[in-house]
Amino acid sequence: MRSRLVFAAALSVCLAVPAVSQSDSSQPAETISFERDVRPILKKHCLHCHGEGDDIEGGLDLRLRKFILAGGESGPAIVAGNPDESPLIERTVAQDMPPGDVKLTSSEQEVLGRWVESGAKTLRPEPEAIPDGVYVPAEEREFWSFLPIQNPPIPEVSAKDRVRTPIDAFLLRRLEEQQLSFSPDADRRTFIRRATYDLTGLPPTPQQVQDFVADQSPDAVENLIDRLLESPQYGERWGRHWLDVVGYADSEGYTIDDPIRPHAYHYRDYVIRAMNDDMPYDRFIREQLAGDEMIGFPKKNLTADETEKLIATGFLRMVPDGTGKVSGEELPLAENQVIADTLHVVGSSLLGLTLSCAQCHNHRYDPIPQAEYFQIRAIFEPAYDWKNWRKPSARLVSLYTDEDRKVAAEIEAQAKQIDAEHKQRAEELIAETLEDQLVQHVPEALRDALRVAYQTPVAKRTKEQQDHLKKYPKILKISAGALYLYDRELRSKLAGLKKEQADKTAAAIAAAQKLALQSLADDVAKQVAAAIAVPREKRTKEQQDRLAEHAGLEVTASNLATFDPQAAAEVAQRQSVIDRTKERAPQLAAIANRAKALRATKPKEHFVQALTEVPGKVPETFVFARGDYHNPTDKVAPAALSVVMANNPAEIPLNDEALPTTGRRLAYANYLTNGRHPLLARVLVNRIWMHHFGTGIVATPSDFGRLGEPPSHPELLDWLATQFMESGWSLKTFHRLVMTSTAYRQALRVFPPDRTDPDNRLLSGMSLRRLEAETIRDSMLAISGKLNSKPFGPPVPVMADRVGQFVLGIENLNAGRPGALIDMKGEDLRRSVYAQVRRSRPLSLLDSFDAPRMDPNCEVRRTSTVAPQSLLLMNNEFVHDRSHDFARRLVTQAGADRSEQVKLAWELAYCQSPSDQQIASALDFMERETAVLANSPQAASLAKQDDTQTPAMLALSSFCQTLLSSNRFLYVD
Amino acid sequence: MSLMGFALNALLQNERVNAASPADDPFARPEMEPKSYDLKPKSPHFEPRAKAMISLWMQGGPSHLDLFDPKPELQKMDGKDFEGDIKYDNAAEASSKLMASPWKFHKHGGCGMEISELLPGLGEVVDDITLIRSMHTGVNNHGQSIQAMQNGRILSGRPTVGSWLTYGLGCETENLPAYVALIDPGQLPVMGVENWTNGFLPSIYQGTVIRPQAPRILNLDPPPYLKGAAQTEALNYLEELNREHLARRAGYHDLEARIASYELAANMQLAAKEAVDFSTETQATLKMYGLENPETKEFGARCLIARRLIERGVRFAQIFTENQRWDHHGSIVSKLPTACKKVDVPSAALVKDLKQRGMLDSTIVHWGGEMGRLPVIENNSGPSRVGRDHNTYGFSMWVAGGGFKRGHVYGATDELGHKAVEDVVNHFDYHATLLHLFGLDAERFHYDSNNRSMSLLDNQGGRVIKGLLA
Repeated sequence: MRSRLVFAAALSVCLAVPAVSQSDSSQPAETISFERDVRPILKKHCLHCHGEGDDIEGGLDLRLRKFILAGGESGPAIVAGNPDESPLIERTVAQDMPPGDVKLTSSEQEVLGRWVESGAKTLRPEPEAIPDGVYVPAEEREFWSFLPIQNPPIPEVSAKDRVRTPIDAFLLRRLEEQQLSFSPDADRRTFIRRATYDLTGLPPTPQQVQDFVADQSPDAVENLIDRLLESPQYGERWGRHWLDVVGYADSEGYTIDDPIRPHAYHYRDYVIRAMNDDMPYDRFIREQLAGDEMIGFPKKNLTADETEKLIATGFLRMVPDGTGKVSGEELPLAENQVIADTLHVVGSSLLGLTLSCAQCHNHRYDPIPQAEYFQIRAIFEPAYDWKNWRKPSARLVSLYTDEDRKVAAEIEAQAKQIDAEHKQRAEELIAETLEDQLVQHVPEALRDALRVAYQTPVAKRTKEQQDHLKKYPKILKISAGALYLYDRELRSKLAGLKKEQADKTAAAIAAAQKLALQSLADDVAKQVAAAIAVPREKRTKEQQDRLAEHAGLEVTASNLATFDPQAAAEVAQRQSVIDRTKERAPQLAAIANRAKALRATKPKEHFVQALTEVPGKVPETFVFARGDYHNPTDKVAPAALSVVMANNPAEIPLNDEALPTTGRRLAYANYLTNGRHPLLARVLVNRIWMHHFGTGIVATPSDFGRLGEPPSHPELLDWLATQFMESGWSLKTFHRLVMTSTAYRQALRVFPPDRTDPDNRLLSGMSLRRLEAETIRDSMLAISGKLNSKPFGPPVPVMADRVGQFVLGIENLNAGRPGALIDMKGEDLRRSVYAQVRRSRPLSLLDSFDAPRMDPNCEVRRTSTVAPQSLLLMNNEFVHDRSHDFARRLVTQAGADRSEQVKLAWELAYCQSPSDQQIASALDFMERETAVLANSPQAASLAKQDDTQTPAMLALSSFCQTLLSSNRFLYVD
Repeated sequence: MSLMGFALNALLQNERVNAASPADDPFARPEMEPKSYDLKPKSPHFEPRAKAMISLWMQGGPSHLDLFDPKPELQKMDGKDFEGDIKYDNAAEASSKLMASPWKFHKHGGCGMEISELLPGLGEVVDDITLIRSMHTGVNNHGQSIQAMQNGRILSGRPTVGSWLTYGLGCETENLPAYVALIDPGQLPVMGVENWTNGFLPSIYQGTVIRPQAPRILNLDPPPYLKGAAQTEALNYLEELNREHLARRAGYHDLEARIASYELAANMQLAAKEAVDFSTETQATLKMYGLENPETKEFGARCLIARRLIERGVRFAQIFTENQRWDHHGSIVSKLPTACKKVDVPSAALVKDLKQRGMLDSTIVHWGGEMGRLPVIENNSGPSRVGRDHNTYGFSMWVAGGGFKRGHVYGATDELGHKAVEDVVNHFDYHATLLHLFGLDAERFHYDSNNRSMSLLDNQGGRVIKGLLA
């Protein structure tokens, strides 16, 4: 049942309605052609059974017009010019065909009908013969994204004064065609806020804004961009973008226990460092696809550079992996899901294709036969090796050196000795407990038999012994693990012994004292006794003198033996019983802790979550019929997609003899990044563009196929891709190119009354963008002066708070219940990119603002506008805390003057200086709010706990919160 | 975030239950876009008997032997050795000596149901309830058995019953959460926030906690000092700022939508405030729930809030007792009566009140915990200190309304009350029956997580218990 589900789900994903209509019913009938209009419909609905499959149903092949005319077992499928006599038309309209629930839409039926009616024409003569299986006609091979990347000439435009970079010329050309043009340049404050958010994900400081506004240099913009590109926050921002497509997560997902991946963060840090170092993107991709093969892994004692390359392959280890948790029937399903998800990530991040749609059948829209899906899979197969699967823990690579290993082995040997001690002590303590329990709860006559019964191994106990023990469950259940339960009894016994000891010792001292004083006269004895009764340090001078006169008569616990040796011996005897009566579980725990502490002195072992191959193992790959791994059919060799190989043939070895591994991924990585692949550079530059303008030139950044949206500016896309590659695949160079353009420097677009170009695809102004989830949180921290900018390292953990919302914190549960909060030492104030991505625990604050769920990755972020976001901004604890911090910062930096506070607040939150009207209105608000709070008993009781929280201060916090909730903060112009 | 969803109901429309999946029907829903989920009301598979549910969650294991399940044989065997197999949780305090119940049972109502003297309030409503005396989960510790009862399996991380119901049926109000958890002022029960988790379901199906003190609903209520006029001032100022911002950005619909979303948020705040305000309740009602009695006031108030929430369209409310309130390993003689006093009158009042308002027919009330207790003594160290250890092999709970039988006793334990032996109701049978009353076919009701078909019953073979249905 479950195994069937996976392909069913994969199928459904592939059946979307094309975004671009393939037929326009207003088209004149005579322009309808087989290649352009009819074949896509047949491919979507029919070719699977009628032409491309192993069996041709009813002998009817619909791949070419002439096959259709020839027909199958029931005769011709169409009669040109006569739809009414064409079975193809009749049966699809009657919905006999195709079988299943998805039928042709009425417009698809109409296209077929009109094609037949108009004579069933083709655009050009069809080939004489075509091979069996998938046939890709020229129309499909020549789809725009499969053609080589061009370096188009820069177009001429009228508004030459607005052309700062060739980007502007490409855009203006389209705008001018529509009688549109660019908007004026944005003002400096708007620009620095936009640029700083774009490159760092944080707002500029007021000082940075002032410096930029005052900068008279003609290169002010260029200098600003250079400064931003050099900041360490750049990598955190752009690393996050890449981590989205990769589907970075700190947990395995798939099963509900969602185990943590403690070593995944090395990959996150690798990505951030690569961004900051402006690692050429081609190398960045090669390392991620085949870093292990680049360094000739496996090998020991890795250098830092080799380690980084190994870490890079974490790219291929990011999808959910449930194979560490499931078993039996579910295991092969989970294993294949890992491979399928990884291919999905490769397809969407690097190729911009919905590769997964070809897993169960030939791709219904793009020329990707199912066999080619498995050829791609074969590139990755040696590393995953479905038949010799390695669970996530077995895929970790230790960074231990030989020296580390030696030291660790020595320590382990010592720890083993402590383990042995632990075992022996446990046996002793169990024996003691047994005796205790026998004495306390079992009649003497039965004790020996019960002891023997307990000590007899379970399997060898007689029926009588079993029955006997059953009556005494307290004996039966004694075990090392249960000692803590028996300690409760021991504790109350010990309390009794101590009380007895105290009472009896006091009595013995009193008796001995009485005897000792008998030698004195009665009145003297009374005085001495009275002095003795007073605690030593409280005795008067007189009492001290009296005792000095009769030295040696005072009986104490320590000298009791000299007065009454027998009583002293009894005290000592009882004390030795007390001393021996120790709680037992802690004794064992102490030994275990010693072993643990010793083991903790081993050199710290770091692991890399890497993708590696096992040398010598070269698994075979088969096409799975309907994607079902139960049904392997044809064996396939590794290969790249054929449709993009026209000018760029790929040679993927079966097994490269020069390497310890197969070399398949390395060859593929080199091929993808050789500068001639039609998709890779286009896909990459389109994503970068999307992050600068809100929408890509191709609005579907992970689908450059037929179902994706066509590029708004195809020449610009190619020009950018060419520039990108020619610049040495430098992301930072690319940012400079884009951000210095007039297009990027424009003011926010003002919508014309007729809402021409409603999606602003022509970029006649800047698009309005909402801050992403992480940016909102990080900005609140920055603005309130609380951001902890510590980079890198293990993620800040996520826990459920007392109501079940996920917040940053160290989990502290007792029987599932939250215990005391553990001090985060400022870790909870770090940037969001360092927050743990536990798939089952989306951080509530980020989740509300559309942070992605990684199942398996995020191709494009969506922004929602819903009331819970407003509720969160109004009432969430984090927002309140930051507002209070923000208010305190204002007082500290702007002083007591309210207008100055407002000005600084505006600068911090908006990068704007407020108008007089805006200041007046803010002051008005705070005055009203102060008055309300001055009359609030709740505010008064808050002030009692914290005297800085005056009504005026609370009103300032409320003002700060309002700024942080406002659209001027949440959106970037 | 639990509040995520209920604002999405702005467009109220009746949708098909979230039950169809690509597995049944691979061509039914072309999807390239990620699926979206909401809390709009949805029609179940068939005509439902129940529309809402209030569960009174008695965490710790109320002793069925002393409350619900009289055992004459146990009374006779007091002090004798238990002969069969028994699983002890606390080894060091274990004993094989049987313990008769120190409390008397009396027949109540027209049906003559036998109930312990510790629950006189319940005695008054026995004709409206079904008492199940044959519950079974078979995992003798709190955490796992809680999970069995609350999420269907003994594992952690799965969605709770309330989460499944709201996923399947949505909510009848757009201004209140679909699923609420009314927690006790004391410590959270064992398994803490897992008791209302959405597990692998989308987070809009998480239970929203109603706290015992302000702010009652986090993110919905501001901290006390901002409540009321202070927040209104701030919202007015915010609107002023946003309008001014919008004036120079005409045509940006998202900005307008965000301004509007604050109005919706404000409506939700008002609705939540109104739902916990008792000023419109009569004295008689307040008295019935025990609000005039210090012992019952706190729990009674939560029962009344639950009724008000259900009345306003909330789908599922669960009221929690504090951590291990019913876990009577020792001193059961004094502690069990105290535990009963807090909840007995308010629980019965809830049944009476729903009935008098005509809501009981469509509202399920559930009273019970994750286990019962053993017939043998635990901690045999004097009559005032004895207790009983865990027992998940046979225990009792009661249900009322929403299509359950009235005045009915279902199932039985063995003669000493140790194991359920007659008409055994496993947690998954109970869940199948609940879903059935809500018009949901457990076999067809599932969710795809990572391409795996997940369900409340999770292929454990739960069956609808016809003998429980009216």
